Amino acid sequence: MTRTKRSFAVALAAGAAAIALGMTGCTPSAGGGGDDASVLRVWAGSATPINNNFNPFAVDTAVHATFGVIYEPLFFFNQLSADAPVGLIGDSYEYSEDGRTLTVTIKPDLKWSDGDDLTADDVAFTFGYGSNKSEQFVSAEATDATTVVVTYTEPQFTSASLTLGSTYIIPEHIWADIDDFMAETNPEPVGSGPYVLKSFSDAAYTVEANELFRDGAPAVTEVQYLGLDSNQSSQDLLTTGKIDWVGQFIANPDAVTGEGNITTLNLQQDPTTITTCANADLGCEGAQTDPAVRQAIDVAIDRATIADKAFAGLAGESSPSFTLQPRDEQWLSDPELATSPQAANAAEAGAILEAAGYTKDADGFYGTGGTAFEIDLFSPDGWTDYNDAAKLISEQAADAGIRINARTVSDAEYWTPIQSGDFQMALYGLTQSLVADPYSNYHEYFAGTSTAKVGETPLVGQNYARYSNPVVDGAVLAAGATQDVATKQAAYATIQAEIARDLPYIPVVLNASQSFFNTEKFSGWPSEGDLYAAPLPYLAVANAVVLSHLTPAK
Amino acid sequence: MSFYLRRVAFYLVTLWAAISLNFLLPRLLPGDPAAIMLGKLRRASGGRPLSEETIEAITSILGAGKDMSLWDQYVAYWGRLLQGDLGVSSTRYPASVADLIAAALPWTIILVGVATVISFLLGIIVGAWVGWRRGTALDHLVPVTTVFQSIPYFWLALVLVAVFSVQLGWFPIVGGYDVFEFPAGPEPTWAFVGSAIYHAILPATTIVLSSVGGWLLGMRNMMVSTMSEDYVVTAEAKGLTPRRVRTRYASRNAAIPSLAGFGIALGFVVAGSIVMEQVFSYPGIGKLMIQAVQGLDYALMQGVFLVITLTVLAANFFMDLIYGFIDPRVRHNG
Repeated sequence: MTRTKRSFAVALAAGAAAIALGMTGCTPSAGGGGDDASVLRVWAGSATPINNNFNPFAVDTAVHATFGVIYEPLFFFNQLSADAPVGLIGDSYEYSEDGRTLTVTIKPDLKWSDGDDLTADDVAFTFGYGSNKSEQFVSAEATDATTVVVTYTEPQFTSASLTLGSTYIIPEHIWADIDDFMAETNPEPVGSGPYVLKSFSDAAYTVEANELFRDGAPAVTEVQYLGLDSNQSSQDLLTTGKIDWVGQFIANPDAVTGEGNITTLNLQQDPTTITTCANADLGCEGAQTDPAVRQAIDVAIDRATIADKAFAGLAGESSPSFTLQPRDEQWLSDPELATSPQAANAAEAGAILEAAGYTKDADGFYGTGGTAFEIDLFSPDGWTDYNDAAKLISEQAADAGIRINARTVSDAEYWTPIQSGDFQMALYGLTQSLVADPYSNYHEYFAGTSTAKVGETPLVGQNYARYSNPVVDGAVLAAGATQDVATKQAAYATIQAEIARDLPYIPVVLNASQSFFNTEKFSGWPSEGDLYAAPLPYLAVANAVVLSHLTPAK
Repeated sequence: MSFYLRRVAFYLVTLWAAISLNFLLPRLLPGDPAAIMLGKLRRASGGRPLSEETIEAITSILGAGKDMSLWDQYVAYWGRLLQGDLGVSSTRYPASVADLIAAALPWTIILVGVATVISFLLGIIVGAWVGWRRGTALDHLVPVTTVFQSIPYFWLALVLVAVFSVQLGWFPIVGGYDVFEFPAGPEPTWAFVGSAIYHAILPATTIVLSSVGGWLLGMRNMMVSTMSEDYVVTAEAKGLTPRRVRTRYASRNAAIPSLAGFGIALGFVVAGSIVMEQVFSYPGIGKLMIQAVQGLDYALMQGVFLVITLTVLAANFFMDLIYGFIDPRVRHNG
């Protein structure tokens, strides 16, 4: 017995040693990946397991390469510039005088990646298919091989970027047989973009150059998209040269760019705001429903400190006009509204509140009848920049005698109240309009048609502040029905004056959006001097435009 | 025999309770998954108005059954479960939960399983030895290993990655295998197996480093107390070789409590190591669980919890039976 016991232990030890040796034995041979110079490797933000979903209608769950890289819209709208859109499938477009008819001409002799012809029939089919049909849609007809005429019941000037810039054209010969467009996963996508799917696994997928692409196959022959679960991993991969293109927040970018082969661009666009439930008439509760309180908070916060401490100095200055400067220069009505005040002014905040009838309680906090009001401000737990910003806002407001309680919630508890209106204040990021015109901001976030009573989710739009102002609504309507610059400017001036006074969304900063790319392996990336597209690998269509501009460096 | 029957009955009741709780818990959480998905869809579609059919499609899949009573949902849940249908994931829509779990399970079981076994064996063997030579310099092993255990796991993992992967470049940074060499996913070749093992070393090392201390300390202390038992003293007095006393008499009895703990640890192998999987982007179950909870993905949450529950129960059941077999006292009092 003793002998067998001992030999068992010896065997175990031997086994463990063997495993250890076997493991280390693999080291040299398996470590050679990542050297293939022609493959561009991207992290577009997806976590593992990656979804095998190439359905261009699944805007939220399909993989990033679906949008722009495999499927294309008619035109590319560069959100960084005020220039006219660039034709992809489309060649030119024109609205009728009343804005109800859109005529699009597409380029001749286009091919789908399976070899079939891409004609105006495919485009007409796409406009009438699935969720592309808007409520105002009447019909889409191909009048010849390269011309499509789309008709609507209402003027469509303002939806050009949606219709032309983010409707992904699909082949009729494939999609005509698909009824349930939301449940389709489309694992073998046939598109018109510069790349076609080569291989897929739940850890990574690869696309290769489309030989039938209208401009010829792109110079970068293969692009591999990786699934990673943490920003730290992608930063490590960047540092070790295993990955070539990433769009993520890195507080200390010098750590990555120090070697010289990785370059970074930081373009601030999307505003982070204190989104308030502003409208008592629609059911909002709390002191923040009083515009005076929102105005006081607006001047009480120290945006420079917040940008510096919470956003690592990488955020930009936001504008209470909700235009993007300098891109939207022609739409800014008043230079005063170019940026929000960057320093705190507690005295002014106090004056605003006192003028509105608030008085200080024993502890120095404003309220009515000797009781200070308290406002709840929440942000999602783990979004450290937001959490820190909320903390700073709470402290700065306290200095001005305004009690704001910052707290963090889980992701699930974050989205639901924002949509249902069951909140007082939340740190929330708005999405900047994708074209050089703030119309979509105003329509989406400020129009009364885009909101709903507290307890209900808006069916159209994202006016989560529940803001409703007939003057703004009228101006949004007027701006939407015209292409005349002067009329639009007048309408925008009205809107800007109203929303900068009412502040249903109190602007805080413009979010940093950093991209990192390997300029040693590939050339042709966007630069400060040539921002032909935003260099973010997860940004639909811009990603494909960047890829087709690149060439492997030799 | 009635001992085993009673145990089986007990486990069946536990199973029913666990599955019912599994149904109930996600529904008690705040937040509406359909609202979350609609909100994300809205942001992702750049403000395009969602069509009525899209909204309907999503609420019918994800809505917590506004028209259905909780009881009807419960019955439907059992019906689907008995058919092996775990539903469709909402965060990975329209992937099926069963497929997601099936893809993640082998990675977790192999990596965390092997690491747990290694950590246990290492802890027991070294613990027995340290206990035997108590009071010598070897005793310093106890604080050294427990320090590793008390270091926050995720920090330990990050440090190991920073040193061995980023600085020295000895080990890969992420993944269960080399996605650059195997872009199409797992394949049945030795090269792939080699790559998978190579990618498992650092994650496994972190698990072993952070858990071996517990086994070692427990075993060492049991060893010390066992050695003062009369039968060990008797064995020594009989003049048996020290090695025989150590292995046959002391270690064997000292290991019994650890064995019970090992059963439980094995059960939890399936739950994976959430942090490790996150840090290494390792394709396991723990990560699915985090994603499910964050996205309020009811179906995925339930699927993952169900698999974990079943394994923990099964592991405990086996340990129960084995324990009853090893130690007759358990059978009589059970």
